[in-house]
Amino acid sequence: MANQPAIDPMHQFLIHKIVELPTFHVGKLAFDMSITNSVASMIAGAAILILFFILTARREIVPNRGQALAESLYNIIDRVLVGPIIGPEGKPYVPYIFALFLVILVLNLMSVVLAIFNVGGLELTFAVTSQLAVTATLAVLTFFSVFILGFVKHGPKFVTLFAPSGMPWPMLFFMVPIEMISYFVRPVTLAMRLFGNMLGGHVVMSLFGSFVVALGIVALSGGLATLAFIPSALSFTMIVALTGLELVVAILQAFVFAALATVYLNEVVNFGHGH
Amino acid sequence: MATETQESTAAPEAKPAGLPQFDFQWWPGQIAWFLIMFLVVLVFVRLFAAPRVGGAIDAREGKISGDIADARRLKDEAEAQAAAAAAETAQARAAAQRLAGDARAKAQAEVAAKLAQEEAKLAEKAGVAEARIAQSRDAAMTHVAGIAAEAAGAIVGKLTGRAATPAELTAARGS
Repeated sequence: MANQPAIDPMHQFLIHKIVELPTFHVGKLAFDMSITNSVASMIAGAAILILFFILTARREIVPNRGQALAESLYNIIDRVLVGPIIGPEGKPYVPYIFALFLVILVLNLMSVVLAIFNVGGLELTFAVTSQLAVTATLAVLTFFSVFILGFVKHGPKFVTLFAPSGMPWPMLFFMVPIEMISYFVRPVTLAMRLFGNMLGGHVVMSLFGSFVVALGIVALSGGLATLAFIPSALSFTMIVALTGLELVVAILQAFVFAALATVYLNEVVNFGHGH
Repeated sequence: MATETQESTAAPEAKPAGLPQFDFQWWPGQIAWFLIMFLVVLVFVRLFAAPRVGGAIDAREGKISGDIADARRLKDEAEAQAAAAAAETAQARAAAQRLAGDARAKAQAEVAAKLAQEEAKLAEKAGVAEARIAQSRDAAMTHVAGIAAEAAGAIVGKLTGRAATPAELTAARGS
């Protein structure tokens, strides 16, 4: 039992430095700009995205597979989200929502697909989107860009967002705080949703992966313990099924984040229409 | 936040309690790098990916709708040409029928005229022949009277012994 690998599903989320780089101090905050495993995954994700679009963004009338994939991704944002939710006025915001969707999608997918290399002990993959620092950055960035855009577009009357129209005025004492809380909790829910989904999925996958190995090692000790191969094989089946599920979650969470960002943006772009 | 950072810097080998995500010493670096990465992707998407992919989709839709409009226009043109051709055919057929009718009428008129001419000719010939027959018959009839007078004279001469005068014979025949 001593040589068994420790079952530690949190190990995969540990950050360690790969390349040491200087630290910048901004006020009291210390920005350690070292390339960590997390940062390396972000850079790889950005590189994959840029390479993908350089290779596939052609202008052919009859698309090949790569171009069709790139166009499908673009249509998810342009035709499925922004078009129906915001309308033609949403066109200028498509690149932002598209970038948001692509970044989350590629980081989510990398963390699931590249996990295959973990089998050989290569820790190439790192679930960047399971880092609360990253999802919170995305959520805060999106939320405040939209919030500031509201004031830029509509001026001070944007605060009437918190006062539902057609309400007797005494009710406003209750409604305005409720509306404000439900509004400002949005970045928290955005960050937590993505973080929780990716964290949970990876913990469960890691657990079942550990079971496969741990139970397999127990089974190798012979005798009655050989029966441990059965739960080991079951765990292996589970991990295959979970990988499929996690692929769906990876795509779905990117879509959900983009969809919510579009819905929030819609309130700003179509402010005052049917509000 | 501060205590967390101190703990992990004080004992780097010790496993941080709870989720590694709440080890705040990595937050500023991750956030800074993530913002850089996101900005790079955003600029790339804004300047290259979105206009190119969106442009290709728009170009395709423009091409398809343009092609459909062209096809519709060509179809309309073809239909108009077919209608014109049908009208021309109908006109030609009418002209041909009129021509044929005229020709038939002319031929009939010619036939009728010739027929009438021939009939007239035949009628004339018949008239001449009848006149000649009548003439011959009259002539024959006059000869018959003469012969009868001669025979009557001869009979009278034989019976009475004297020849009757022509005046008597004529008178006798007239009674």
